[in-house]
Amino acid sequence: MSSLSITANDPGKIVLLMGNEAIARGAIEAGVSVAASYPGTPASEIGDTFSRIADKVRLYFEWSTNEKVAFEVAFGASMCGLRSIVSMKHVGLNVALDILNLASLRGVKGGLVIVSADDPSQHSSGQEQDNRWLAKMNCIPVLEPSTPQDAKELTAYAFELSEKVRLPVMVRTVTRLSHMRSDVSLGRINKSDKKAEFDWEGFSYRVAGFAKLFYREKELNEKLDLVREEFESLSFNMLKLNGDERLGIVGAGLSFNYVVDAVRRLGVENNVAYLKLSSSYPLPENLVGRLLETVDELLVVEEVDPFVELHVKGLAKDFNPSLKLYGRMNGCLPKEGELNQIIVGDAISNLLGVDIRRESRLVLEKKAREVLFERMLTLCAGCPHRATLYALKEAVREVKGDLKSVVVNGDIGCYGLGHAPPISFEDTYFCMGASIGVSQGMSQVGVDSIAFIGDGTFFHAGIPALINAVYNRHNIKVVVADNQVIAMTGFQPHPQSGRTAMGKPTKRIMIEDIAKACGVDHVEVVDPYSLGKAKEAFTRMLKTEGVAMVIARRICATEAVRSMRPNRPTPYVVDPDLCIGCRICMTTFGCPALTWIDDEKKAVIDKALCMGCGVCMQICPQEAIKGSKVS
Amino acid sequence: MDPLRIVIAGVGGQGTLLASRLIAEAAIKAGYPVKIGETYGMAQRGGPVMSHITIGEASSPQICPGDADVLLGFEEAESVRRGVTYLKRNGLALVNTRRMPPAEVVSGMVKYPNRDILIGLLSEVTNRIISFDATALAEEAGDPIATNMVMLGALCASGVLPFPEKVIINVLKWNLPQRYHSTNLKAFKLGQTAVQRQIDNNNR
Ligand SMILES: Cc1ncc(C[n+]2csc(CCOP(=O)(O)OP(=O)(O)O)c2C)c(N)n1
Ligand code: SF4
Ligand code: SF4
Repeated sequence: MSSLSITANDPGKIVLLMGNEAIARGAIEAGVSVAASYPGTPASEIGDTFSRIADKVRLYFEWSTNEKVAFEVAFGASMCGLRSIVSMKHVGLNVALDILNLASLRGVKGGLVIVSADDPSQHSSGQEQDNRWLAKMNCIPVLEPSTPQDAKELTAYAFELSEKVRLPVMVRTVTRLSHMRSDVSLGRINKSDKKAEFDWEGFSYRVAGFAKLFYREKELNEKLDLVREEFESLSFNMLKLNGDERLGIVGAGLSFNYVVDAVRRLGVENNVAYLKLSSSYPLPENLVGRLLETVDELLVVEEVDPFVELHVKGLAKDFNPSLKLYGRMNGCLPKEGELNQIIVGDAISNLLGVDIRRESRLVLEKKAREVLFERMLTLCAGCPHRATLYALKEAVREVKGDLKSVVVNGDIGCYGLGHAPPISFEDTYFCMGASIGVSQGMSQVGVDSIAFIGDGTFFHAGIPALINAVYNRHNIKVVVADNQVIAMTGFQPHPQSGRTAMGKPTKRIMIEDIAKACGVDHVEVVDPYSLGKAKEAFTRMLKTEGVAMVIARRICATEAVRSMRPNRPTPYVVDPDLCIGCRICMTTFGCPALTWIDDEKKAVIDKALCMGCGVCMQICPQEAIKGSKVS
Repeated sequence: MDPLRIVIAGVGGQGTLLASRLIAEAAIKAGYPVKIGETYGMAQRGGPVMSHITIGEASSPQICPGDADVLLGFEEAESVRRGVTYLKRNGLALVNTRRMPPAEVVSGMVKYPNRDILIGLLSEVTNRIISFDATALAEEAGDPIATNMVMLGALCASGVLPFPEKVIINVLKWNLPQRYHSTNLKAFKLGQTAVQRQIDNNNR
């Protein structure tokens, strides 16, 4: 539905958009020419949206191999005068950091917008990371939208600002904004017919001169002063002063909504002054100063770190030395984790000494928790990773005896859930590609380890580490869990898929070819749905001296079903006469389509969930499971 | 008007996201501002999912605990999990009694609590509970996946929405491929009738 509304050139039309879609729409309205991204929650839908509509709105979109490359692609287009956008999840910016700094130092030509999607409370990340620090460290202005409408408009404005001061500009969103949907009023789509032309004066040291291009710190600082000046009167920053309030509140980006709702709920509209802050770096010091001068106490509300708060603390020295400052630093708000209306409301009511009158459900919730199970995430029914891990575990048991004799270094992807019971065969995970690197350090000091990495992650960051293993003669074993998509973030394609983000056919770059070219000693490809063969391949891998790799290749079960809709795979069945109720299929393998009938003490397969992989059939010692495998 | 706040609770793969989008699209068609806040992360099925929908003036995407006017529960245990937190006192709970036991329950590590215990917990918050097997109705309409349409029909029949049934039916037709229309509309009607019948019984 949204693909219809999101491309409509119908100014004033009100449509339902997700925050991430609104960001993409803002870029389209601003006439963006090139968009590049690497998938990662909560940013993925920005790229997914571009991927759906790029052809229609005549822009170029690609899923790059990683965030650094995505950034470079966007930067290249910008140097030739075209508007470009690069989006990623917060930690993606760590990967792109090397080029980020140079893009701000050397400047841009066509507007270059970086969307950083931060993940407070790390709903789908290994860490909370506030990328406003990275922006500040690299002299990049930061805009923080509060609503999908703001997200659309601030993204469009970010291009203008970027061109005006010739700096990349960051639009910083957070999970709750990226994934929130609301009514958005569309603007006009401005198609760009600009001809690309490399800016020789701006970027070529042959033309502009070496010194001019390289020593630009002073120019950079002057640009930031200009931006600060512009932010002082930015219409997206909104200061509300009635006159004699005691308490002032600064709400940055999404968290401003919590302030508005909490103030309304408490009925204290006339007792607080507030600033909706949409530009958190560089801080519009005079605008903030006006608020500081009028109040005795100030609460700063923002997502993840006390970034604005710290700056305000410094400002108070000039504007109001006796100001009492509250926020995450002094513990008035929690030091870590996502905020919400309740947390912000409690803080405001404490500061104002008003009663909140809220019914507590704590006792009832506790009672409910005592009887209710937790619903954990598990690998899907038919997931090839489950079969791969099961076969690997069997091979390790056979070759090494003790499962604890090897450390399984996992990586980033669905297979991370392999640590959960009953498979429980994954020990560590860090960041994209790290499994191959850390395994080398372990093996070097005599600890056996296996690197377990996905196909998507292998392309993103696995290759340099693999080359290192061969070059430095590390004795490591690598399993590539190749489910043919970047599944966890929404089934995006990658260099082995044979199609681009815009759906065009392209060369397939095969992982086994890369491995062989890197000099890996032993490479095999197996289908994990054939458990016996997979186990044999893993056994050979474990017995090889040197760098050995098994690629377990089978399409992600959920992607397979998505692409065969409306048809469904034929489910397997348990023959109740043969099933003895031993539960081995459940306790050793645990496919969620296997369920249990308590009355009959027998296993049964859920027709609606079964993906027809046939792996459970190979595990059942009674041969009670029947069916025929998907091709 | 005061905003209408709806919490949808279910399990990944049940179509709760589509249901919340259809409600929001209908609200926009009817001229209301609307917000959806969603909790989901990974692609895998089977995890808990929850949508918060606010129709009317509000800023935050999330609904405060104890503030929801309606709980639209797609799965029994999930309904209770979210209901005890979010449903306001004597708010309306529409509960699909069909259970989706997680792997831990299936493998026998933990037990799925029985119905009396579950509904008992929800009753501590509200006496307006309408429960029925929505998935059975979807199966009757031709596809269990249409459970979300049954729930939408139920929501419509409950009379809480500030716009007429035809707005949501139009949005549904507009947004879903033609080939699914007959099953979906049938499911919608079955959900509507099921709730209508219970309301009539209660009023008698
Ligand atoms: C630097 C960085 N970029 C992006 C992500 C987001 N991310 C999380 S899981 C994942 C999927 C990796 O795909 P693959 O290895 O193929 O595993 P699958 O989910 O398909 O099993 C990605 C890209 C991340 N965690 N870190
Ligand atoms: S065949 Fe067995 S293992 Fe495969 S999806 Fe069906 S129940 Fe699960
Ligand atoms: S989405 Fe695909 S790869 Fe991920 S758990 Fe499900 S089947 Fe496995």
